[in-house]
Amino acid sequence: MTGRGPRPIALGAALVAVGALALAPTLIQRDDVINFVFVVLLSITLAQSWNILGGYAGQVNLGHAAFFGIGALVTRALWFGGTNVIPAMLAGAAVAVLFGLVIGVPAFRLRGAYFAIGTLVLAEILRITVSNVFPEISTLPTATIGHYRLTDRYYMALALAVAATLTVAILTRARAGLGMRAVREDEDAAEASGVAALRLKLTALSLSTALVGLAGGLFAYYQISYYPQHPFAPNWTFDALLITYIGGVGTLAGPVMGAVLYTFLKEYLAVRWVDFHLLIFGVLFMAIVLTLPGGLVDLADRARRGLARPRRPRD
Amino acid sequence: MSLVAQQLLLGVLIGGLYGLAAAGLSLVFGVLRVLNVAHGELIMLGGYAAFWLFTLVGMDPFVSLLVVVPAALVVGALLYLGLFASVVRFSDETRIKNSLLVSFGLGLSIHALAVRLWTADERSITTSYGGRALTVAGLAIPELRLLSLAVAFALIALVHALLTRWRWGHAIRATAEDWQAALLVGIDVRKAYLLAFAIGTGLAAAAGGLVSVGYSVSPSIGLEWTLKALIVIVLAGLGSMMGTFLGGILLGVAEAASAAAFGGPYREVVGLVIILLILVARPQGLFGRS
Amino acid sequence: MLEVQNLTAAYGDFPALADATLAVGAGEIVALVGPNGAGKSTLLGCVTGLLRPRAGTIRSDSRDLLVLHAHQIVEHGLALVPEGRRLFGQMTVEENLWLGAFTARARAVRGESLARVYGLFPVLAERRRQLARTLSGGQQQMVAIARALMTSPRLLMLDEPSLGLAPRIVEAIFETLTAINEAGVAVLLVEQNVRAALRLAGRAYVLEAGRVVGEGRARDLLEDPHVRRAYLGPLATR
Repeated sequence: MTGRGPRPIALGAALVAVGALALAPTLIQRDDVINFVFVVLLSITLAQSWNILGGYAGQVNLGHAAFFGIGALVTRALWFGGTNVIPAMLAGAAVAVLFGLVIGVPAFRLRGAYFAIGTLVLAEILRITVSNVFPEISTLPTATIGHYRLTDRYYMALALAVAATLTVAILTRARAGLGMRAVREDEDAAEASGVAALRLKLTALSLSTALVGLAGGLFAYYQISYYPQHPFAPNWTFDALLITYIGGVGTLAGPVMGAVLYTFLKEYLAVRWVDFHLLIFGVLFMAIVLTLPGGLVDLADRARRGLARPRRPRD
Repeated sequence: MSLVAQQLLLGVLIGGLYGLAAAGLSLVFGVLRVLNVAHGELIMLGGYAAFWLFTLVGMDPFVSLLVVVPAALVVGALLYLGLFASVVRFSDETRIKNSLLVSFGLGLSIHALAVRLWTADERSITTSYGGRALTVAGLAIPELRLLSLAVAFALIALVHALLTRWRWGHAIRATAEDWQAALLVGIDVRKAYLLAFAIGTGLAAAAGGLVSVGYSVSPSIGLEWTLKALIVIVLAGLGSMMGTFLGGILLGVAEAASAAAFGGPYREVVGLVIILLILVARPQGLFGRS
Repeated sequence: MLEVQNLTAAYGDFPALADATLAVGAGEIVALVGPNGAGKSTLLGCVTGLLRPRAGTIRSDSRDLLVLHAHQIVEHGLALVPEGRRLFGQMTVEENLWLGAFTARARAVRGESLARVYGLFPVLAERRRQLARTLSGGQQQMVAIARALMTSPRLLMLDEPSLGLAPRIVEAIFETLTAINEAGVAVLLVEQNVRAALRLAGRAYVLEAGRVVGEGRARDLLEDPHVRRAYLGPLATR
């Protein structure tokens, strides 16, 4: 858990993977593959950012999409207005964090289910409002489409996914992360032993919203045309939940494994049945919540340990 | 002026269905302390059941309730046994969190299945006798929706009677108040949970059936109706079927008033804003006890 | 009637009962006394099936209670008046009593049981249609005991019935317990009010930090120097 460094193999594998991903665009010239990996990387950020608040701090946030949407909205507006995309994305993330803090203070007074419902409701209010205020589709001007470079977006997605995962990794070892875990297990007990629960929850919220706000900004930079309300749609929240839980909530590798599997199933199965991946993941999700709370990461752990142990005769 | 009154009247009519939708969820949450966010999907399934019975067999939608509701009782019992029976073994807070997650997966799965089976199109039942309206004091009351309101009220009154006169109804209420004390008087609390969940599902299916005839159903109404039910529960609190029904009507009227004042697109927002304000100010609702 | 052997229980890592053994014979009044946190409620919780012990056995009339669900234990004839009453506050007194006779066995004799409890607690008869949560503490305790009696028990267990009640009312309730016992119901009384409990009971056990540290006739324990020093106060003379 904490205090232990990462296993050398895991760290090595991670570095190799990142290196391979960094080299990919130069080696693989196919746009569809790069797009696919882009979506995986974006999903990793989407899920890891949710994981910070939902997995580590234990607050099930059903309004994750709101911050994704805010990041997208602000970034798109500024970028179309002439601002360079990087400051635009940072501004988007900043607004998302601000919004998160403003609602976080009253929202965190609600516990458990009420917090989840409250965040869901908030996200829906935002989505409906945006759909009414900005009903028209937002499309890149043709001049800009000419300059569109997929590889730029790709590297940004890679950097963001690495950043998100690193944040979670650091959090696991930092004192704040320990505190968050205590809050997740039993908030009252944690509070009683001196943990400043609210401050920790707000910290988790801020990290979460910053990362997903950046993800939203990246989406605005990547997607050529979409309806402004689309990034606010609950599917983004649901995707984050599905990916995180199936991969392994509260773990580092969980959202990564989950994102790969999820995106793969989504793209691969979309041919004959558009939402089939949702049915599979929905059922898997239920199975995991009921029987294997550790997700795929837990399953992989058990498999590895099972293989390492010598076979024993039946009693 | 009469246009506003007309809108408010329509709000009352749909409010009754909101109340029915919420009653099922209120029962489940109140007794099991389990949050089933797939409740809206159960409503949707009830709506489709009524629709297909009408389309394929020609069964009148109000008559089909006699088939759909009992079937829903069975489905509810199975869902409880399969999914929620293990969740109720935990303490309150874990229960709510786990049931939220499990039902989240359930709702997603049902939604995906519905899209595959029936496409994303909206379906509606048009009966031969629909479309007529009574005229009272210059207001047009659509007969079909009025009948739906009456049926919704009757069902809620029926459940209320069950809870207050049936031996197991008492057991359900006792379990809702204090499940350990219920065990101590010899009530098999698991059975009470099963019954409550089954009845809740039955109410959801009935609401869906009524929605399909007066309005329309499509796979995506699930989330919408779950939210409506949640809003009403937060408005009315737990523990009273009648209070929940009134809460539903209140929501319907509030929506109509907001649509009249701010325009149609913001109709949905008012309910959501109400729930937020109440959550922050008074989590136990207007009628409920803390 | 009830045999608890070597019962061990814990809350997580926190031990609550260690090797506790006690027995209640038919028709007896047995007291279980000890300080706060000694494990008395935990023991009752295990007997009634609300808690799961780590080790030990609980038998009643040669039936193993550990394999039964809590509601089945009530059906078997063991009833608990829990600490803090735990009434169904939103229901009337009579509804609470009716619920007491929920099991088939109790329902068969519901009419007689009701008459008997109204005889024991006349004030409840007067307030039968009143909401349970509007009653006074003493009256609520009566409802709790009455409700447990409605289950037609052979063993009535009470967890701290005197808590929060005036001495006069405690006296009245303990007198009623005598009457209940004389009618044939065994009583297991868990109490912090050691003096009153030992005066009522025939036999008693002393539980400290999860262990049974003393047992015997209640009368003898009243004279026991450790008991007197620890529980009957420095001024105890009788």
